[in-house]
Order: sequence, then structure tokens, then C-alpha cells
Amino acid sequence: MAAVSTIYSTQALNSTHFLTSSPSSSTSKQVFFYRRHQSQTNRRFNTIITCAAQQTVVIGLAADSGCGKSTFMRRLTSVFGGAAEPPKGGNPDSNTLISDMTTVICLDDYHSLDRTGRKEKGVTALDPRANDFDLMYEQVKALKSGIAVEKPIYNHVTGLLDAPELIQPPKILVIEGLHPMFDERVRELLDFSIYLDISNEVKFAWKIQRDMAERGHSLESIKASIEARKPDFDAFIDPQKQYADAVIEVLPTQLIPDDNEGKVLRVRLIMKEGVKYFSPVYLFDEGSTISWIPCGRKLTCSYPGIKFNYEPDTYFDHEVSVLEMDGQFDRLDELIYVESHLSNLSTKFYGEVTQQMLKHADFPGSNNGTGLFQTIVGLKIRDLYEQLIANRATVPAEAAKA
Amino acid sequence: MTTVAATGLNVATPRAVVLPAARLHAPVRLNYPWKFVSMNRMVMSVKATSEGEISDKVEKSIQEAKETCADDPVSGECVAAWDEVEELSAAASHARDKKKAGGSDPLEEYCSDNPETDECRTYDN
Repeated sequence: MAAVSTIYSTQALNSTHFLTSSPSSSTSKQVFFYRRHQSQTNRRFNTIITCAAQQTVVIGLAADSGCGKSTFMRRLTSVFGGAAEPPKGGNPDSNTLISDMTTVICLDDYHSLDRTGRKEKGVTALDPRANDFDLMYEQVKALKSGIAVEKPIYNHVTGLLDAPELIQPPKILVIEGLHPMFDERVRELLDFSIYLDISNEVKFAWKIQRDMAERGHSLESIKASIEARKPDFDAFIDPQKQYADAVIEVLPTQLIPDDNEGKVLRVRLIMKEGVKYFSPVYLFDEGSTISWIPCGRKLTCSYPGIKFNYEPDTYFDHEVSVLEMDGQFDRLDELIYVESHLSNLSTKFYGEVTQQMLKHADFPGSNNGTGLFQTIVGLKIRDLYEQLIANRATVPAEAAKA
Repeated sequence: MTTVAATGLNVATPRAVVLPAARLHAPVRLNYPWKFVSMNRMVMSVKATSEGEISDKVEKSIQEAKETCADDPVSGECVAAWDEVEELSAAASHARDKKKAGGSDPLEEYCSDNPETDECRTYDN
């Protein structure tokens, strides 16, 4: 049903009238075509054609520390095609990434306190008191309904809140940061949510790799920094993983005894069952427990090899399926071999996962489960997006027929 | 208007039911958000911050954090100071990556901005 709110005077016989639908009905614009028969019959032919006005799909990604340029985002935008770049001609320290189909927003932009403000109050960026969830909710809601917003910019270098930038509503909006699923209203807006859960040992190893090159940093300072942030992290960020539709858990490997380098990783993809438009990836047989080592007669791998696990499980009182990979890929044929044995990948052609991984072979994690599962989640999001769009297009057509 | 009269369509009494039109202030404003933005922002220098600056900041923040925490290891100030260290370290590593990624090959840089020029066209299929 479309309530007519305004009608403009008819100028020609066969004309189209643009009618904005009332707020209570769907947000899509409806174009009414009026045609009068020459034979002056009383029957009117109304054809309703709906142009789906910007039905944005919103994805949430929760990950610790820093955002905007992370590997996951680059893989995700690459699945949809095109490279994601900061908005041209704007603030060079903007955290936003824009590609043809996706826009990635860093939730640090919604800090209510800048760095000096936080230092005065003695709160970390992880604390919800340092973030403006009302503004976050309003702007994400506006973008989801197809309205452009002026989003503030948090400059990570200066620690200040810069002048806002204009964000146009994209087809796919990704909100990335520390608190995408913290606020309940924002959570309701998300069509799909992902949580990157890095275990403490791996986090420590990664931070060492990242920060040892910086002068001023030492092992102690890195350790102190992680430990100081831990209470706030456990209190505010970690509980979000129970709301996520997919959790990528990164743990130290079990293939190498006493490995503390953190180079070989064990990665678990925990996928919630029963999520609309999301069908979990499985190995050989859905819902069964499988342990699989692909290296053997048909495939030779170098040390420490690859081990896969698949099993149903419960995670925070939800039914989940867990796909786990321990080890590293060394060669292309290992990757394609593994891909050919996984099911429900939502690829459009055979070898798409391998192709995506090879396209970004220089990204960190391209040789282990992190890259593999990030790519798979990217394909799942593409699948979810296509199903959502197809569904939204058919619903108004059915309503018109009724 | 002649076509209207010729075909006998009576404009005075439109057939559709017309409810009182709501004044379309809000949607109109939202349709053209750029028209209502105030242009009196401060002119900021658009130069991106250099890597050396960030490294200095990281070093300074670590010093500050150590000092703040020497007094009271569990206070909010100490935690906030280490959080700042973490934030700056992340920014420093991003700056390093950006420097490594771009700026190495002038052709790549040019082509990322102008992919349609002859030198930059790629044929995948």
C-alpha cells in the first residue's frame, strides 16, 4: 500500500507521477504509471515499478586497535572488485576507505573525547565513555536509509577530532572498530557481524613484530602496553563476540611443540547457525566431525604441514559450526587442493578463493588460515549481499500484486 | 495543455485520491545535503604528517607513560597513557606500510590515480 502524499498536476496524458511513499511504508521510491485508454473505459492500468532507492547492507567488524587500512578490509573490498582508497581531495588523515561498492567507516571517528580529553579523564579508547554511540547510531541509520551524512574524523596522528567529511550512502557499508556491536541499537542495524579474536600469545607476538622497529619501544614497554589495556578490553570489547555471526579466532599452532614465534597459526572460523542468508562453510559432511590432513600421497607439504578440523559446537549458547585450519600453505596447488574439498564456499567459479588469495599474496596471513578465512568470509558477505538485494527487490513486487 | 483538452482529461478533478500533502521540508533538505552545509571551516593545511613526527610522538608517549605509571600503576591515567602509546604505535606502523606501499614506483602511483590512460590499461581477459 502506498499512501499518496502529493500529486502534481497532470501535464500529459501518458505521464509518470513521482510519489514519495509515506514514512510508514518501505523506503523504496515507487513510480506510478498512469495510462488512460483511448476508449474511455473506467478501468485504469497502474503499473508500479519500484526503484530500490539505496538499500544499504551494513556489515560490522570488531577488531582491536587501529582501523581503516587493515588487511581484512582490503580483502573484503577486493572480493567485490576495485581497490578501496581514502576519499580523494579530503583530509589525508581520514580513516575512511571508499571503493565502487563498499565504504569502510572507522568507528574511532565517533570518539567523543579526543586524546587529551581521554588523558584528563583517565579513560582508554576502549571505554564506552569515550565514544558517542548516539551519533554512531544516527549516522549508521541514516546511511542505511540512503541519506548522506557528515561524519566526524578522528585523526590518529594528532589525536584530535578534525572537521567532518561527507559520506555518501554506499551499497555496502562496513563499520570497523572497537565497538560495532556494543550498542544494542547499532547491533540491530547490522546485517552481518564479524569478530576478530586474537589470542594473547599471538597478539603479543604480532605487536612485537610491529613495534620492535620503533625506537623507544622495548619488550617491556610493549608488554606493559598490552597489560594496561587488558582490563578494559576484557570488560568492553571481548563480550561483543557473543553477538557476532562469524568469529575468526587466531591461536598459536598445535603442530609445533613449544612454538613461541607466532609464525605458524591455528585459525578457527566459528560460524553461527541459523543466520539468515548465511550458510556456513563445511568440510565433506555438514554437521559431522571431521579431522583432515590433506598432506599425503596426493599432496606433499613442507613442515609443519596443514591440518583441518570441522565440527559442530556451541558457543555462548548458540549452535555453531567450527572450521579450523592449523599450519601454512607453501604452494599454489596446496591452496587449490584445499579449496576443492571445502563445500558451501559461495564462490562463483572453481578456484575463486585461490585466485583471491593469490591476488593479495603480499598481504600478511596469505599463507595461513587468517587469509583463507578472511577471504571466505568476504565471499559469504558477497553472497549475503546478493541474496538481500534480490529479496528486497521481490518483496515490493509481491506487495503490488496483492 | 492542448493535448490535455483534446483527449478530454479533466484536470480540475483528478481521479486519484489526494490526501493533504505534507510539507516536504525534511526530505528536501536531506536530498541536497551539500546545500545546507556551512562553508566556514578553518582552512587546514592538507599536508600529510611525516613519518619522523610520528616516531617522535611514539617515543615521547612511551616516556610519559613510564613516568605516569611510576607513580601509580593502576590508575586511569596510567592506563590511558599506555593506550595512547598503543594508538601511536599503530599509527606509526600504518604510516610505514603506506610509505612502503606507495611512493616506491612512480608508474604505479600514477596508474592508481589514472587507470584509463594508455600506459596503465590492463587486459585481464
